Amino acid sequence: MSKVYMVGAAMVPMAKYRNSSYSGLAVPAVLNALKSAGVSPKDIQSVVCGHAFGGMLTGQRIVKELGIGSIPVLNVDNACSGGASALNAAYKDIEAGRYDIVLVIGVDKLTQFGGGTLPLVTEDPEVRQGMVMPALYAMRARRYLHERDATVEDLALVSVKARRHGANNPYAQFRSEVNVQEVLASRPICDPLTLLQCCPTGDGAAAVIVVSEAGRRKLNVPAVRVAASILHSGQVTAGFRDMLNPQISSDSANDAYKQAGFGPGDLDVVELHDAFTIAELVYYEALGLCRRGESADFLKSGKTTYGGQVVVNPSGGLLSKGHPVGASGVAQAAEVYWQLTGQAGKRQVPGAKRALSHVTGGGISGLDHGACTVHLYECA
Amino acid sequence: MREVSGATNGSGYGADALPIEDMKEGAKKPFELVDGQVRLRGSKSRSSGGMAFPEREVCLETGARDMEPFLFGGDGVLYSFSTVHVSSSGPVPYTLGYVDFPCGLRVLAHVVADDPDSLRCDQAVQLRATDDSWFVVPV
Repeated sequence: MSKVYMVGAAMVPMAKYRNSSYSGLAVPAVLNALKSAGVSPKDIQSVVCGHAFGGMLTGQRIVKELGIGSIPVLNVDNACSGGASALNAAYKDIEAGRYDIVLVIGVDKLTQFGGGTLPLVTEDPEVRQGMVMPALYAMRARRYLHERDATVEDLALVSVKARRHGANNPYAQFRSEVNVQEVLASRPICDPLTLLQCCPTGDGAAAVIVVSEAGRRKLNVPAVRVAASILHSGQVTAGFRDMLNPQISSDSANDAYKQAGFGPGDLDVVELHDAFTIAELVYYEALGLCRRGESADFLKSGKTTYGGQVVVNPSGGLLSKGHPVGASGVAQAAEVYWQLTGQAGKRQVPGAKRALSHVTGGGISGLDHGACTVHLYECA
Repeated sequence: MREVSGATNGSGYGADALPIEDMKEGAKKPFELVDGQVRLRGSKSRSSGGMAFPEREVCLETGARDMEPFLFGGDGVLYSFSTVHVSSSGPVPYTLGYVDFPCGLRVLAHVVADDPDSLRCDQAVQLRATDDSWFVVPV
């Protein structure tokens, strides 16, 4: 059993890149990740590529562009968790001693759909009934406002924080601050969620280099240990489900804390799946950052920003960066790599030692979400 | 337009972090005429000498981003070919072939022949072009 480390990371600035193919998006991220790790293309022993909408052989279409071949290239679709699932696959291979140096890619190009909500699989009965991702999260938000002593202003504060963090991240798609009034006055998407409470669509790619203990010794570069890597799927029910208690995320987080031997109170940085404002509040509780029922106060008291208990989404999160679904999990890992190696520039969380990343992919009936990945990291 | 300055790392990025615009509309034609002869526009790596067609930014052999324009053609050898009668790609029939050029590049080309049935492997072919398309003909 080898320990697992990240030794290099890169991403393209998230934006709309209609003139670029999947390989055009991902190749610069891969080359820069290799460069930051001091690794050449021929040193890579295995590639895992996460994506949701890349089509056949997305990973091969990318890595052949720089001469990587004759090695295993595995393509992983797990909706929003595709990129993080790729990291999970790489983690397991390295832990098992199969490889010393693995390239993990996350990529997606949502501009190919011309805007609007994420296209879901139309075989699904709820999708045929009109389900779209913002509607699912909007119903969570409605229930949250109903059950809790919370207001739409509380929801809006999630966007306000995200955009304040994102303003310091050159890789984010939105780099301007917004206020509560602007968030609430933006056009309605799915009531009560307004436009500025929904992550923007866009295109992006990210890459990280994951290595074994032996691989790390060969490379003299800053490293971050991946202390836990957990992947769960949802459990079906045709009955009642508490929409404020996403079991798939809390189960994944609990398993991750067990694997890593540290807990939510030890975290300095969290990159969580804030596809919509309500998601962040619900996930504070699911990840154990605060007690159940306390998420709105946890946000409002400043515990999740700089100077608080844990900085949640220093990158600006999906609300600022955008959410090219398969890319997001790897982009989160890249952010964590930079944060824990002191390379995050203006958005650096001072003295960050331990971090968590979380992405969960939804969109099928009967499940709270289809897939969820939680990773824990610590300074090596 | 995004600001681009300095090195690419966690705190910022340079031009090398931006996606490659490989699907740009109105990109230049993949061929040109040199003294009336058709030449294809390829790329060659300054460091490795690795060649490729069509033009590209990254070396297929080493990943180096030092590709320079490079023209090749016009005589080649037809490695293999097929006349296509059913296709989702365009009107049929048309004949495709792999053409080997002396520089070492193999290129998929339309083969225009009065009688495609008379084509054979390893025969000599030559580049030709109209205003906006290129192909090979048997010689």
